[in-house]
Amino acid sequence: MEIPFIVNVRKDTGLINSKVGIWLFLASEVTLFGGLFSGYLFLRLYADYPWPERALPVLPGLINTFVLIGSSVTVVFAWAALKMREWRKFQIYMSITLVCALIFMALKGIEYKAKFGHQAVQIDGDGPVQGHEIVEGHVHYAELDKDGQIHEVDKERKKEDGVFSANRIAFKASELSFVLTRPSHEAYVKEILKQAGDSHTITLKEAYRVINEDELYKGDLNRTELLESENALIADAGAELSTDVLDDLEDAYLDARSHDRKVRTKFLAASWDWIRDEEGIDEAATYVIEMDLWKERRKEDGEKLKIVTLGPVAEVTFTIDPPLTLVLKPGDLVKVSDVDIKLRDDTVAKGEMLPSPIIMGVDALDFRHTAQRAEAEELDPFPVIEQTWLLTHKAHHGDEEEGHDADHRNEFKKIWDCHMAWLKAETARLKTKGREPSMNDKFRVNWDQIIAYRDVNEELEYDAKMVYEYASDPDDDLVLYSSGLFDLKGFAGANHNEFDFPHLEIPRNKVGFESTFTPRWNTYYAIYFTITGLHGLHVIGGALVLGYYLFFGRKMYDSNPEWLANRVEIGGLFWHFVDLVWIFLFPILYLM
Amino acid sequence: MSADATDHHDDHHHVLPFWKKYLFSTDHKTIGIQYGLAAGAFLLFGFFLMIVMRWSIAYPHEPLPGYLSWMFTDGWKARWLDDGKVTGETYNMFGAMHGTIMVFLGVVPLGFAAFGNYVTPLQIGAPDMAFPKLNMASFWVYLAGGLLMCASFFMESGAAKSGWTNYSPLAGYADRQIVNQFLAGQTQWLIGLVLLITSSLLGAVNFITTIIQLRAKGLTWMRLPFFVWAMLVTGFLLLLAFPPLEAAGIMQLMDRVTGSSFFMPSGLYSATDSAPMDISGSGSPLLFQHLFWFLGHPEVYVLLLPAIACVAEIIPCNTRKPLWGYKPMVWAVIVLGFLSFIVWAHHMYLTGMGPVISTFFQTTTVLISVPSVILLTSMIISLWGGSIRFTMPMIWAAAFLPMFGIGGLTGLPLAFNLADLHLHDTYYVIGHFHYVVAPGILFGLFAGVYHWYPKMTGRFMDNFLGHLHFWPSLICMNLLFFPMLTQGMAGFHRRWYNGGEGYIEKGSEGVNVFGRTVAENISINEVMTGAAIALAIFQLPFLINMFISYFWGKKVTSDNPWGATTLEWATPTPPGHGNFTFDVAAYRGPYEYSRPDHDSDFFPQWEEPKRDAPVEEPAEKPEKEAPKA
Repeated sequence: MEIPFIVNVRKDTGLINSKVGIWLFLASEVTLFGGLFSGYLFLRLYADYPWPERALPVLPGLINTFVLIGSSVTVVFAWAALKMREWRKFQIYMSITLVCALIFMALKGIEYKAKFGHQAVQIDGDGPVQGHEIVEGHVHYAELDKDGQIHEVDKERKKEDGVFSANRIAFKASELSFVLTRPSHEAYVKEILKQAGDSHTITLKEAYRVINEDELYKGDLNRTELLESENALIADAGAELSTDVLDDLEDAYLDARSHDRKVRTKFLAASWDWIRDEEGIDEAATYVIEMDLWKERRKEDGEKLKIVTLGPVAEVTFTIDPPLTLVLKPGDLVKVSDVDIKLRDDTVAKGEMLPSPIIMGVDALDFRHTAQRAEAEELDPFPVIEQTWLLTHKAHHGDEEEGHDADHRNEFKKIWDCHMAWLKAETARLKTKGREPSMNDKFRVNWDQIIAYRDVNEELEYDAKMVYEYASDPDDDLVLYSSGLFDLKGFAGANHNEFDFPHLEIPRNKVGFESTFTPRWNTYYAIYFTITGLHGLHVIGGALVLGYYLFFGRKMYDSNPEWLANRVEIGGLFWHFVDLVWIFLFPILYLM
Repeated sequence: MSADATDHHDDHHHVLPFWKKYLFSTDHKTIGIQYGLAAGAFLLFGFFLMIVMRWSIAYPHEPLPGYLSWMFTDGWKARWLDDGKVTGETYNMFGAMHGTIMVFLGVVPLGFAAFGNYVTPLQIGAPDMAFPKLNMASFWVYLAGGLLMCASFFMESGAAKSGWTNYSPLAGYADRQIVNQFLAGQTQWLIGLVLLITSSLLGAVNFITTIIQLRAKGLTWMRLPFFVWAMLVTGFLLLLAFPPLEAAGIMQLMDRVTGSSFFMPSGLYSATDSAPMDISGSGSPLLFQHLFWFLGHPEVYVLLLPAIACVAEIIPCNTRKPLWGYKPMVWAVIVLGFLSFIVWAHHMYLTGMGPVISTFFQTTTVLISVPSVILLTSMIISLWGGSIRFTMPMIWAAAFLPMFGIGGLTGLPLAFNLADLHLHDTYYVIGHFHYVVAPGILFGLFAGVYHWYPKMTGRFMDNFLGHLHFWPSLICMNLLFFPMLTQGMAGFHRRWYNGGEGYIEKGSEGVNVFGRTVAENISINEVMTGAAIALAIFQLPFLINMFISYFWGKKVTSDNPWGATTLEWATPTPPGHGNFTFDVAAYRGPYEYSRPDHDSDFFPQWEEPKRDAPVEEPAEKPEKEAPKA
């Protein structure tokens, strides 16, 4: 059996099968990306926070655009070479296409990596609109000192044991309660045991008793008697926590509950039969059988329907001695208070919350959200910004020793003052062109601005006056690292290896929402990662197919070169589509 | 067929091993049967879930009876049943999975994939689908997705539980306590959905390409059987409507796995954790509904068209006269396909989209009833003046017409904004939709099974068992679904797990006027549940029939036992790999029954015209000749 029109076209349609197929497939791809693009529009139009505009470094995206366009050209050359039966040329052009794909994915990888390591914290602070100022930067590293307190360590030590990112939550736990209906806490138990090491013992607080199933039907024992029997003991008080012990407890609990349910179901069904016999079927529907009725039935028919239920307890508590400082990722916790925390699997730890600041090097200040909220309440945004925690908090005592003059401003207030000076000059400059500063200009201090404000003074002090002088002088501009298109120091954003950024310690109670620049941070990054990720998968898929033709196509080239040319044409059509998607993606994500 | 000497497949020279012939087959007929069997199994499972739900509605305080609860293990019962009674949580889970299974795993694969795969290439005179390997891949991807969704019943989290529409933020929040999100039912539902959509897309590309490229010589567009037209339109619906849902599925997957907020609005507070949810917010639940219903509405026609297609084949064959209004029907199905893309938001009148948008969608929704009515009316008129043979397929097809009619007409009030305010999310909607799907679409598909079974196996299905299947099914379906319409108007909400009992209590406190109307209509729940159980029992004759007829059914005496005209009856019975034994060509339209100038009462498409007959060249240009009505 042969399928026609694989190599030669059908006369009335003028097409081969696979070309019809690929165009149809591309049509469906258009609606797939159409769905995502409309998602972008929807999220942007209805965002209740300032949408990040031009938030991504443009250079990698721009290079990628040209790389992909180039590869679209070479894939056509490769196809043409095949049509002219020039294998060598085909190999060369196809290889260039694949190298382009590789460059694209490599740049994408650099971009993604910079995002994953970049932290943002929205501060819930003081002032009329509860702050909502955002700081961005790199989280520093910390370890627990002897007293179990978080203590910052040097960046070089980040690979060492016991050193963690300084955005964790430290909680001194003396008691742990597990819910036995959740058999999935293995991961957390292992983590807790690891942190406990040998120096802490985690033991069961009270003996856990339910009866083993075999014992149940032996005699007319009641519940108390049953539970006092030898076999009822599942784990004695003082049993050490391990995944095995928890598994045993869970199994015993589920068995006991299962038994109870079985007995009660049987009794309930028998009660219904009785009601139906006595009252007739129609009235039966209005009954709600409660325990009272059960007891009544039990009196009457006690011998036949014995109910011994065990009522197992679904929660077990372990005590930790001495209290252990747990260091946990904020994402694993669903509830945090001063005396207890709740993990995602409903495990609760009781004890005492320790100071768990986020310690970071700050590379951007963003007051757009503050300004938006202030404007919504018809307040002037600038005084509101001046009252935020970030600009008013007392600096770390270490900094205070350095500043021996009467300047009580913290570092961020100094930066902000410089920014105000720059904004004044910038507003004047724009006014001559008939323009106004944007939200970005007004309320956001970017990493290159922070560096420029500091570097303006030879002593590396923030100096608002000099900033204003430089900024308003048409001949002498501030050095902005991101403005030079080919300055690679800021290729993928703020470079913490190259520059020293101001140090900030945010107490936990001031942290409103924190995340790295991943889909979690806001809907912009969510759609950015989703669309570009899906596009990246298309690039990889397309490259695999084209690579297959390049490396394994020779056999087909020898037997049926036209068929191979058709295949490359189909692959090329897909490749063009992938390129086209990027041409839409680049402006909406990088430029708008 | 015009053979391309350069195309070289040599595997057909050998006898294929078992696993290649029946398991990983690339033959469209085997794949069609695989789809049919898998979809049938899923349908039965979805049906079972429904009976458990119906039990809970009628007898909320009674433990599940033994004939329903034996399926569950003790551990499962301990977790999900409350003293043997269905809990609200379990009801939600079953409801979500009933809808999902019936729509995505049952009816669509049965109608489009099973019938489409088996019949379409035969009807267009093709040796196979255009991309046989892709065809096989789409079946296995479908099965993997379906099994993944159902496997989550046995996990700690249970299966998906946020309705088959999976609205966020509920669906984004459910199962959050599971540490590894890939082991949560709600997440696996999404992964399963993405797999199913992928399978549908592969299938749709394959179908459309096959129909465009592999038609036999002389089979011009207006000579295509209506079945093929319906499959073509269905293919386009799947191709273009499904990807936005895939986008939504991916976004919701991101919400669950990476903690993003595509569909999670600001300010969500979790009552179980008594803490605000730790997410960024600013997402849009409305966006999910738009993306979902952009698929969701065309999906209704994806369900419906294959059934109409089967009925449209069976009616002319059994009335022995051409399909009335073939051309208008073709145009109607194309218009229907187009309009189905712009009616989606009539599912969302109550989301506060605003009156302008609601009015637009109200208008388009009313418009779409025009092509639907053309299709149904044409088929009813086709019966007029025919000498109807009441064969088993015809009985099902005949029942399809009024049943689907009820389903369609009860939809009209829902199209109107104002009426929908009252009826939205009530049992009226459930009744309407189930009239379309169960006695409508499923009857059409049953008709198809009885019709093509002789071609697939070489034996007829048994008539007595057929009647034993048909009549009780018809009665039970109506007993089950008609009361839903009245209940809905009385204010029964579609998601009550206890059939409205809690509402009566609230109503008696004078909280709501519907307390009384609910009380008046609640007792009929027991009748409906009884009908559902009876309906299940009377599917047994069908299963038995399928099985015993395969071995002991009456043998067919010719390759064309029904005396039909379309090309699938020109193949050997059952058709071998490659389908046709001669170079098949079409010489006339698809429904040439009872032509006065022909000696038998049917004139098959493949029969060459006699030399002395009026010349009928295989037309190269389309629209040259209309079937003579």
